[in-house]
Amino acid sequence: MRALCWTGVNEVSVEDVPEPRLLNRQDALVKVTASSVCGSDLHLLDGYVPAMLAGDVLGHEFVGEVVEVGPDVRERRPGERVTVCSIIGCGRCHYCREGLWSLCDNTNPNPGFQEKLNGHASAGIFGYSHAMGGFAGSHAEYVRVPYADVNAFPVPENVPDASAVFASDAVPTGWMGADLGQVGPGDVVAVWGCGGVGQMAALASLRMGADRVIAIDRFPERLDMAAALGADPLDYEHTDVLDALKELTGGRGPDVCIEAVGMECHGTGAQYAYDRAKQAVRLQTDRGLSLRQAIQACRKGGTVSVLGVYLGLVDKFPMGALMNKGLTLRSGQQHGQRYIPIILDRMSKGEIDASPLLTHPMSLEDGPKGYELFKEKLDGCVRAVFQPSRS
Amino acid sequence: MLAARVMRSARPARTTWFAVTVEADPSELSGPSRPDALARLAERHEVRVTRAPGGRGSEIAVRAADGRTREEVRALKQLLETGEVLVVEGQPEGHRTVLGRVARPAFRQLTRRGAR
Ligand SMILES: NC(=O)c1ccc[n+]([C@@H]2O[C@H](COP(=O)([O-])OP(=O)(O)OC[C@H]3O[C@@H](n4cnc5c(N)ncnc54)[C@H](O)[C@@H]3O)[C@@H](O)[C@H]2O)c1
Ligand SMILES: [Zn+2]
Ligand SMILES: [Zn+2]
Repeated sequence: MRALCWTGVNEVSVEDVPEPRLLNRQDALVKVTASSVCGSDLHLLDGYVPAMLAGDVLGHEFVGEVVEVGPDVRERRPGERVTVCSIIGCGRCHYCREGLWSLCDNTNPNPGFQEKLNGHASAGIFGYSHAMGGFAGSHAEYVRVPYADVNAFPVPENVPDASAVFASDAVPTGWMGADLGQVGPGDVVAVWGCGGVGQMAALASLRMGADRVIAIDRFPERLDMAAALGADPLDYEHTDVLDALKELTGGRGPDVCIEAVGMECHGTGAQYAYDRAKQAVRLQTDRGLSLRQAIQACRKGGTVSVLGVYLGLVDKFPMGALMNKGLTLRSGQQHGQRYIPIILDRMSKGEIDASPLLTHPMSLEDGPKGYELFKEKLDGCVRAVFQPSRS
Repeated sequence: MLAARVMRSARPARTTWFAVTVEADPSELSGPSRPDALARLAERHEVRVTRAPGGRGSEIAVRAADGRTREEVRALKQLLETGEVLVVEGQPEGHRTVLGRVARPAFRQLTRRGAR
């Protein structure tokens, strides 16, 4: 079959690879109908995640049809259309039982890397390096899904692939960002980053009753998209963010600050130059500008909810602001299994539509082009989605 | 003076135990219901099973666990909790470079077992 593989730093190519087969009794094979790029892939592409090997199949945000199930799969059936959570849970360990699915104890067969770096390892993720389990990704005609009963969710018939594909990753991540901040009526929420994740965090905050959501980015088309969802756009290249947020909140600062940018944060000024230089020589692994800003901006006693991915060390972390303002810092890879059923239900009722994120439907063969558009944010690309059946 | 500095730089002693917590009652891990894999571990290593606090199951600790043993202990936990051990060998993969193929076994061992 055809699959999009990582072949080196900022290099991907479409190759012939063997088809997947069932490797465990609780596996399912899914025929991929749509598979999206995600901001998390950029950290792999840029070579910041060391545990990639040339030939690894990329992709973790996808929807498809179940074509085969292992003998111990009880719920899923061939023929079902399913959204699969990007992060793999087992459903039985302490963390999965508590709803903290991305902390699953059992789905990362390669915990060594993270244990050394972070003390403990988190769950396996499709197409996301050998440090995250070494699972083949979904930018392919077929993908193998472990523990299929808990990771694959039937999609209501009236929800199109164009929306259902994002129920795999971007929507539940955004939903979790608002949930971790316990967003509710009366809250003012600020969201850093208007990619797929930030857009969905803004939408979730509004659905949870936030009074006002301020969406921060520099790309006009992304700011417009957030505005169309009901958020107030803020362009950080033309407006001083900390200043503006104070003014917009009567001096208080946002109640909840959601960071949806991550370690490759862009910026202006001396601090950005300093971050880039240190990251380039690996004195820090992650650039922390938007994270620092979120902490600085947050109102006293508020919550900072970090969705952006960080791998290791961030320099100049404002511990003093966190401590003296009594902030709550919450974070994590998404616990999708907790949110996906609610999200698909709301999609079916017309309360969530994620399809505007899909700006570039493409064939798998156009994968390299799709990643270039997405990485460089060209042509208004918010998410390129590969449809293997498309030619 | 020099002695004091040497003393200070000496690393604190590390525990020789490798421990995991398993969602299983201690009674399922001893006596006649003791899983075979646990029995085999106990032939080679000192093994301690204790009740975990807060209803979190059992703590299995294995003394002097090398890389292979750590892998076995994790597999045992996974088997007890989920009924099988996840396999990642034999998945689709694209062209591997010569370097990739040569480095792979060591790389796999490192990611799997970790450096302790
Ligand atoms: N926690 C999770 O489970 C999870 C899941 C998916 C993605 N992510 C992470 O979320 C982040 C966003 O993902 P995405 O798919 O939306 O990526 P994306 O690349 O589409 O969007 C990132 C956006 O951040 C903006 N940005 C850069 N610097 C900024 C700054 N200083 N201030 C404000 N905005 C800034 C960019 O212009 C861009 O629009 C990534 O780090 C990704 O790895 C996390
Ligand atoms: Zn993602
Ligand atoms: Zn689990």
